[in-house]
Amino acid sequence: MKRAHAATVLVLEDCDEDFETVLDAARLAGVTHEIRRAITGDECVALLRDFAPAVAPVLVLLDLNTPKGDGREALRYIKEHARLRAVPLVVLTTSANPRDLGFCYDCGANAYHVKPVRHDEHLRVLGEIFGYWLRAVALPQER
Amino acid sequence: MSTAVNPPPDAPLPWGSGPYSIKRHGVSLTNCDSEPVQTPGCIQAHGALLVLRLSDLTILQVSENSAEFFGETPEALAGRKVESVVGAEGVARLREVIEREPIERNSLYALTLPARGAAGALDVCVHTVEGVAVVECEATGRGGAVDYFRGVKTALGRMQAANGLREFCRRVAEEVRALSGLDRVMIYRFHADLHGEVFAEAKRGDLAPWLGLHYPEGDIPRPAREIFKRIWIRPLPNAAGPLVELVPLANPDTGRPLNMTHCALRGASVMYTEYLANMGVAASLTLPILRDGELWGLIACHHYTPTHFPYQMRAACEFLAQVATLQLKSAEQSEQLVYRLQLEGVHQQLVAKAARDGDLMALTDRQPSLLDAMEAGGAALHHLDRWWCMGKTPEPAQLDALAEWLHTRPDFASATRPVFVTDSLVRDYPEGAGFADVASGVLAVPLSRARRAMIVWFRPETNQTVNWGGNPHEKPLVTGPHGPRLTPRRSFEIFTESVHQRSLPWTTVEIDSALRLRLLVMELVVSRAERLAELNADLTRSNEELDAFAYVASHDLKEPLRGIHRYAHQLLASAQTLDDENRKRVEGLMRLTVRMDSLLDSLLHFSRVGRTTLELEEVDLNEVVEEALEMVGARRSDGNFTVRVPRALPSLHCDRVRVREIFSNLLSNALKYSAPAPARIEIGYLPPEESASRPNAPAESVGHTIFFVRDCGIGIEPRHFEQIFRMFKRLHGRDDYGGGVGAGLTIVQKLVQRHGGRVWVDSAVGAGSTFYFTLPCKQTTAPA
Repeated sequence: MKRAHAATVLVLEDCDEDFETVLDAARLAGVTHEIRRAITGDECVALLRDFAPAVAPVLVLLDLNTPKGDGREALRYIKEHARLRAVPLVVLTTSANPRDLGFCYDCGANAYHVKPVRHDEHLRVLGEIFGYWLRAVALPQER
Repeated sequence: MSTAVNPPPDAPLPWGSGPYSIKRHGVSLTNCDSEPVQTPGCIQAHGALLVLRLSDLTILQVSENSAEFFGETPEALAGRKVESVVGAEGVARLREVIEREPIERNSLYALTLPARGAAGALDVCVHTVEGVAVVECEATGRGGAVDYFRGVKTALGRMQAANGLREFCRRVAEEVRALSGLDRVMIYRFHADLHGEVFAEAKRGDLAPWLGLHYPEGDIPRPAREIFKRIWIRPLPNAAGPLVELVPLANPDTGRPLNMTHCALRGASVMYTEYLANMGVAASLTLPILRDGELWGLIACHHYTPTHFPYQMRAACEFLAQVATLQLKSAEQSEQLVYRLQLEGVHQQLVAKAARDGDLMALTDRQPSLLDAMEAGGAALHHLDRWWCMGKTPEPAQLDALAEWLHTRPDFASATRPVFVTDSLVRDYPEGAGFADVASGVLAVPLSRARRAMIVWFRPETNQTVNWGGNPHEKPLVTGPHGPRLTPRRSFEIFTESVHQRSLPWTTVEIDSALRLRLLVMELVVSRAERLAELNADLTRSNEELDAFAYVASHDLKEPLRGIHRYAHQLLASAQTLDDENRKRVEGLMRLTVRMDSLLDSLLHFSRVGRTTLELEEVDLNEVVEEALEMVGARRSDGNFTVRVPRALPSLHCDRVRVREIFSNLLSNALKYSAPAPARIEIGYLPPEESASRPNAPAESVGHTIFFVRDCGIGIEPRHFEQIFRMFKRLHGRDDYGGGVGAGLTIVQKLVQRHGGRVWVDSAVGAGSTFYFTLPCKQTTAPA
């Protein structure tokens, strides 16, 4: 995947405060990617459909409990999609339910994080996610 | 009569290959099995017999007493036409009977010869056998004109009104006695093992009853039983009376002796007459009762003085015996039906009770019980890993071994008829000899293979239940030349051996009923299991819903909390707009959100502690304590505190993760509430024998191993002993002693309760606290 300037990070998040925190963390981490937000699971799937195959997002952050087609559906759509399957997908949720955790990894999620209540913690976790998935990790080149 | 003593294999028979005569040869105990009972060569002397060539009715053989009856010697009659004895009219009648009636091996009355000299009038019966006509003549002896027809008619009416087999047989005995006027009439019934029982009896008032007495198989030996399948009546009006030979002994045409099977006058074996004489019986009349072609029993009539059996009386009795044979099956079926209904009735009551009580013990512990329906000496139910016994049964240890063996048998595991049934357990299971007295007969049905549940009925050894005809307490009668062997008493002694370790056999009705009870019980068990499964499913569903609810609730509560924390954080970041006081307020706001967060986590954890299932395994508590110490961030000998475990802890069957949480919570408290001095903590246990009289110990802890975690910290006032286990209850300031939400002890209590145990505290302010708890799961190994 090319580190093109237009590369996108897709975020499914229905809570405005939490999305603001994502943007704060991205800024602090110096992320230059375009960050696109979906509020419902359906919207998330629609956005992914609209991406031209060549410009798939480089990272997807998913909240699970969102209205109208929740994060679980979006997760399944991405991981069952032949081209999107390789895109790193990180679940960020308040749910510590082991069932949710098991479900996400079974579907092929790349990581699962419980959102901390403490804001500084929250920022730190997001910073580490960006650092790892956008810089440290090696991913397959575009096919 | 005897079958018990066999002749030496090569001993020559006294009559060699020639015709046999009771009078000439006799038999002894050693060769009576070879006695040619069908060709005895002799007849009873109260009648006369002629053997005629069937083609021309020429006299071939004559009984040697012919002169008394016909005025001519056998030698004078031999070779003459029968007309010279019965007259022209008699011959015509004989011819008519021979030609028209079914008299092959079936004696029929032909005519009455008028009185001639001393003999008086003679009834003449005739039958054909093996090419000859056999003519038997007996005194008619009709004193008064007895109306046998009327007697039979009323007898039939009474017999048909009988209800059930025993009643039917009793009436048959009564009616035969009424017709015959004999002293004792018995219905003698053969059991499956061929021993016999006096099943019904009618007798002269002064005679001792024989009803219910059992006689060994040998008392009516096989050759006699075989003959009774082919004849309808066997008269012996004077058992001790003389015998007369046929002259000549063999048929001059064929050289063969006369087959007398169907002769009413046939001479009886000395074995039989002596047996009767030894019982004091002077005359007997015996009629077979058949069922499906097999000998079911006998109508056995005894008279204590020699008598005369007029032909018409015999015919009437014979008729009753034939009716008995025809009606027996339906009487037996109605008897079985009555027994079956009775069994089913009781069994259904039992199952209904068990269903109401929700417990199979209802089959055993009240009236009626398993023992009330089945004719058995004892019964046992194996259920919930123990035996529930009624009546006389083997010991529990013997039952265990028997059950173990039963489970190895394929018939016990059959898919269609899983049942084990025997009337002689030792035959298949030699260990059964140890309790053959109470359990020679066994009828067992499995209820559940997995749980090894079963129902077993026991029947005692026959000797324990049966009144033998040879009751040793009876005074022995005078015995004949063959000695006491030919008495019921002696044959009983021999037979005792053959019923050793055997019970009365189980009937089809009983076996079927046991199998039906099994089905009823299994249906009950299955329906209860289904109900339980439904409840379980409901419970699982509601548990899952609760679980989901707890997570969703905590999720929904935390989201705004995170937002509050974020805004407070941002307020603080723009520091220039805040004075010191407001900065403190915003900091407080953030602290409260964090605390709210941990309260929500504790609540979620607590709500799950009580609902998730325990995963029990063998756990070494020493390892668990090490892990717990690690969790609370302490090593046994840190500079700041010491943890002592004076004696190694035992291994325990428990949930490792949850017991570790108990220890980590208690340890964390002990560390937290240490006095200013470094914490000294002791972890130990008291085995059941030492666990009595611990302070504050609840009664439920008695008899269990008690574990404890002791500190020498700040201690707790007794009035707070209960409060400390309450959710979110803290005795100290929010941030004193390292803070915390106040859920630890509540969770400990919940975890201990999940293990069926109790937790309590003993403490004094300033002197430290000891938290005690029990985990009443089976302790399997002692500490090393």
